[in-house]
Amino acid sequence: MSGKAIDIVKSSGKRPTESFDRTKLHRSVKAACLSVRSHDGEADNTADKVCDAVIIWLEERPEVTSHDIRRIASKHLTRYHPDAAYIYEHHRYTI
Amino acid sequence: MTDIIALSIVCLAALIHASFQLSISTLTLMSGHTLGSGRSHTRLVSLLGGFTAGAATMTTLLVCTLGLLLSYFMTDQDIPQVFWAAACGLLFGVGVAVWLFYYRRGKGTMLWLPRQTAEFLAERSKKTKNTGEAFALGLASVFGELLFISAPLLVSVLVILPLSPDKQLLGILLYVGISMLSLLTVAVLVSGGHKLSAIQRWREANKNFLQFAAGTALFVLGFYLYVNEVLVTPVYTGGGLS
Repeated sequence: MSGKAIDIVKSSGKRPTESFDRTKLHRSVKAACLSVRSHDGEADNTADKVCDAVIIWLEERPEVTSHDIRRIASKHLTRYHPDAAYIYEHHRYTI
Repeated sequence: MTDIIALSIVCLAALIHASFQLSISTLTLMSGHTLGSGRSHTRLVSLLGGFTAGAATMTTLLVCTLGLLLSYFMTDQDIPQVFWAAACGLLFGVGVAVWLFYYRRGKGTMLWLPRQTAEFLAERSKKTKNTGEAFALGLASVFGELLFISAPLLVSVLVILPLSPDKQLLGILLYVGISMLSLLTVAVLVSGGHKLSAIQRWREANKNFLQFAAGTALFVLGFYLYVNEVLVTPVYTGGGLS
């Protein structure tokens, strides 16, 4: 990250705004990859690529919602790992 | 009602129970979190086993408890007519509810449950780390779906109660075994290395069919029992048919 702070507005509005955290995004994308049986290294690489793409997208935006982050991350993840993208996008709609 | 017909009704009711999806959704989520956090395959299998055992235990407990409660109302091994009428009403009501409301509209396999229950199960599935917690989650997931499984459960208990003790045991085992089939299948697929995305995609693609099949089966069972236990039995006892 280039040092510029980007506020993430939580979608539900119940929790306070927080700063963008690359590690948190990396962890969630990697978890999605691992849950569809990717190898650890592959999951790490994919999560890195997705995080980089999301950060480029964030550069012009001072404030975004967590839903936006998820949508953009999911869009890029679909390019690298469609199965993981499906789980990443749908795990909230399972129950 | 002959023993074969009674046990066949138990099998159909258990199949309807098996088509309900809350336990499967919870199991899928728990597996996703377990794999996503990089835990070992042995741990995954142990959690799946614990969850399935919990769901089977809760189903058994529900059948036995309901059976015990209803046995107090039995007279000379006969089920009072009012219980059959209530069970048929419940089957029709739940059948319509399943047709109309079982899945929420939109993507995914979101169920029409109180959101607090769904969020609790989703949160617990994320925090489940050992077999004991998985067992408790299995118990809770069956209990959470009580609204829908109450109808097949009640009918099975009403059918099982007048049977001889050995047939009662067979009825309970059949009900629990068959109602766990779908959960066991998913557990075996996940532990066998199948991708969760493939399982979840199949569930999403076929959710309308499963919803329609469950609702229709409830309706068919309700109609059969209404004709045979509510309409025909009084005619027999009143000497209308020879």
